[in-house]
Amino acid sequence: MNNFLLSALIFLPLAGSVMVLLLPSTYRDSFRWISIIVSVINLLNIISLYNNFDKQVSNYQFVEQHEWIRMSLGNLGVLSIDYLLGVDGINMPMLLLSGIVLLIGSISSFTIEYRQKAYHSLYLLLSGSIIGCFVALDFFLFFLFFEFMLLPMYFLIGIWGGERREYAAIKFFIYTLVGSILILIVMIGLSMSVKDSFFSQETGRTVHTFDFRQLADFKNYIAHSILHPFEKQMIFGISARLFAFILLIVGFGIKLPSVPFHTWLPDAHVEAPTPVSVVLAGILLKVGAYGFIRIAYGFFPDIAFQFTYIVAGAGVISIIYGAFNALAQEDLKKMIAYSSISHMGFVLLGLASLTVEGVNGAIYQMFGHGLVSAMLFLVAGVIYDRTHNRLIENFRGLSSAMPYFTLAVAVAFFGALGLPTLPGFMGEFFTIMGGFQSEILPNWVSMTAMLGIVLSAAYFLWTLQKMFFGTFWANRNQEGNMKDLDFREIVMLYSLSALSIIFGIFPSLIFDISGESVKAFLNGF
Amino acid sequence: MLEKLLNILFSSRVLLPDLLFGVVFLVIVAAIAFSQKLDAERTYVLFNVLLISVLISLGFVFYAFFGFYTQYYESGSVLFGKLIYLDSISLFFKLLVSIASVAVLIHVWVVGYKVVGEFYAIFVALVWGLFIMTMTTNWLMLYVSLEMVSICSYILVVFNKGKDNSEAGIKYLLFGATSSAIMLYGISLLYGMTGTLNFVGQEFTIFLGQNPTWIVQIAVFMAIGGLLFKLSAVPFHSWTPDVYEATPTPIVAFLSIAPKAAVILVLIRLFSSLSIDFRMIMAIIIMASITIGNFSALWQTNTKRMLGYSTVAHAGFMLVGLLATNTIGIQSTIFYITTYLFITLAAFLLIDLLALKTESYELESLRGLGQENIFLGLAAVIIMIALVGLPPTVGFTGKLLLFTALWESYQTSGSNMLLVVLIFGLLNTAISIFYYIKIPYFMIFKEPKIGVRYFQIGFIRNGFLLIFLFFIIYLFMRPSGLINLIESLKLA
Repeated sequence: MNNFLLSALIFLPLAGSVMVLLLPSTYRDSFRWISIIVSVINLLNIISLYNNFDKQVSNYQFVEQHEWIRMSLGNLGVLSIDYLLGVDGINMPMLLLSGIVLLIGSISSFTIEYRQKAYHSLYLLLSGSIIGCFVALDFFLFFLFFEFMLLPMYFLIGIWGGERREYAAIKFFIYTLVGSILILIVMIGLSMSVKDSFFSQETGRTVHTFDFRQLADFKNYIAHSILHPFEKQMIFGISARLFAFILLIVGFGIKLPSVPFHTWLPDAHVEAPTPVSVVLAGILLKVGAYGFIRIAYGFFPDIAFQFTYIVAGAGVISIIYGAFNALAQEDLKKMIAYSSISHMGFVLLGLASLTVEGVNGAIYQMFGHGLVSAMLFLVAGVIYDRTHNRLIENFRGLSSAMPYFTLAVAVAFFGALGLPTLPGFMGEFFTIMGGFQSEILPNWVSMTAMLGIVLSAAYFLWTLQKMFFGTFWANRNQEGNMKDLDFREIVMLYSLSALSIIFGIFPSLIFDISGESVKAFLNGF
Repeated sequence: MLEKLLNILFSSRVLLPDLLFGVVFLVIVAAIAFSQKLDAERTYVLFNVLLISVLISLGFVFYAFFGFYTQYYESGSVLFGKLIYLDSISLFFKLLVSIASVAVLIHVWVVGYKVVGEFYAIFVALVWGLFIMTMTTNWLMLYVSLEMVSICSYILVVFNKGKDNSEAGIKYLLFGATSSAIMLYGISLLYGMTGTLNFVGQEFTIFLGQNPTWIVQIAVFMAIGGLLFKLSAVPFHSWTPDVYEATPTPIVAFLSIAPKAAVILVLIRLFSSLSIDFRMIMAIIIMASITIGNFSALWQTNTKRMLGYSTVAHAGFMLVGLLATNTIGIQSTIFYITTYLFITLAAFLLIDLLALKTESYELESLRGLGQENIFLGLAAVIIMIALVGLPPTVGFTGKLLLFTALWESYQTSGSNMLLVVLIFGLLNTAISIFYYIKIPYFMIFKEPKIGVRYFQIGFIRNGFLLIFLFFIIYLFMRPSGLINLIESLKLA
């Protein structure tokens, strides 16, 4: 069963990172090429995985398992941590998204001139840990990569960011670290409550495991352990499983980000350089959503079922609150950041509906939003590169000066606001349909969420109108700087546009992959 | 009479490394006394004598630990008429102390400190005291060894004569003397209750159980006062920042790990024979140490002061395993201390290497150093995230084990207090990142005042730092070896 394709995905960027670090600075022009080549190889690898993915089964595929740490805990048994990788229908789309967005990010990094060696080394480190986070099937390994994304991200925002970069970087770091600590508590609790059924029998000792496959199965819970579903022990007056679930919701809610834990996101986005914003919005937010599906919902289905109101409520509030905030923004990048919060709310809604449509829609929305938000931040980056200014009111009538750019912007904006044939529509449609079909959620929840679509149409169209229509004008006499896209930008924006359209017209490219796994996932409820 | 003499003779044979220190101490004192003037060359000879003797004892302990004299250690042997108790766990801690002392001596040499000859005499006496402390199960011996360590530390702290130095020294002395007095009082209370000076035995446990719990709690708290002082746990921590700031860095590095390790061993032994519920007081000490340490460190602008407060917080973490009161708790405490040894020595070495360039320990002076020397910048990141306890460093493994033990203890006892400590400790980790990250932050993010000027610190210094970094990362990747070693220790 062992093959090394998934490991290669993780270790190729890490090797690239070390290579960049070790090469002398005289090769500085080659660093960007190293990160592009690594990203291309990774993407090709991912596409081959995607092609070989068996859509008929819900199991984990391409599984790779090696024993990593075996610690004896005395009479408590053994703590077993494995190097365990694999993909199923839930993380395969995420893997594909990571491959695409990381490649776009590395192309976008071409313009970084300041301290390239450190930049590309950190960027590759980030790439490796993101992919590791998506393919890890061992909670410990997942957590490891989850934490490990923080450091390169902190430095990428803090060194190459805008004016208030240091503030934004430390805010990002602390928010996410608090979240991951809450997850760590649950991780310790889960591993102490679950035993590996196979190895426990074989060795005759209790083998505590972090294996996702074991954690998701109630049969493996140790009787009378604190997180056992039938255990009645209370923590601060609520049941232990509920407590753990709340910790997970907050932990992943910070990463997602869901209102009210979202305040780090606008700061981080506004200050981050374009490629980092692209990666942050395109993939990092999805790690939070992925954690929601795989860990919070996957391991605590009984609680999630009771908690569905709260999750759906958080989703709807994120949708509406994010949209209203986006309406009020004058800074293009901040507007896009708030729109991200709004669109990630749909993921929560779809997940909370616990229907096949809803959960598939949530996964699709994650994928689609990844493509679209990457485009949106590239758009903001294009304007910022030319003028060092991002205020919406400073530009008018860009369409006459930058026709190619305007076309890409139109695809991105319409994709985000949910025009049919573009990815935003499919995701929103299916999550809201899931919300209506759901037996648990009342209809007004989904109806309120639809208001979010209207609002997103409002702020995107207004922005489009203000910036791109009318007579051409740019503040501070910067009309001369407003040149149309260069080749590199065309490659990035148009390839993303093409992908958006393809995945928008053929959503089954994702649904076929996720379908079986989602069905199996929902069987647990 | 003959029997006693034979016992002493037998005991001495087992305690060769300890006796070696005694001899070396006398030799150094004699050498200082009889040589007319102690120039640099002769001091260097003394340094070598000391280094070699510490290395020999390290080798001896190492050798003993892995097989030699097994018959005496495996089941533990009582020596010198029950005053000293030697078993594998004390050997392990001797190993830690020896490693720390070798590392600190190399630190002194690598950074190029000019030290007077007396330093070596005092240092060897300090190590000797710590060696004895690892073998005490007797209040009297504990007090003697603790005082031996304390007095040597007082002298070491004031070795560089300066204004700050004397202030710190006198503070250290006063606080130390006070906590010793409190400790002595507590010991006398406990002696009155139990009628035995031995604190690991049936007698002690049984007699202690016959007294009212709250009195015993107070007495035990007072009796461990001197130990908590060495550990710089709240409320005996207030000497820490001043002493850390004013004292030469290698000595601080040594004081921040070696005495703490020995003290933790004593606490492990004491708590394993304590029949009363001492967890409430421990929980308060732990939470107060972690919180006060972390929050005070937030405002520091001097790296040594900051690390001083950070050790207060770490003292709290070290006690977490004892709070868990199970075998894995003790094992994870030992693991934590072992890893903290490497991390803290590396941290102090790092700021000393940086101070070579800047001649200052202020955070502000670190501006841009990471850009000028990438290796040091990288090292700063690794060491500081290890202090926070983030992967991929061994600091994470240590904290994970501690909190796993605490969770297990919570699961079996159902006491909410333990869960509060767990959440508290973990959230404090998030706070601590705020100040730890300041060091790499200043080194990497801030621009140097006058342009980037690359500098090197030399091959040997780099290599020495690299050894620590290697352990910090290697023990994360492969912790099994160390864990198996700790498991094989026979816990009292």
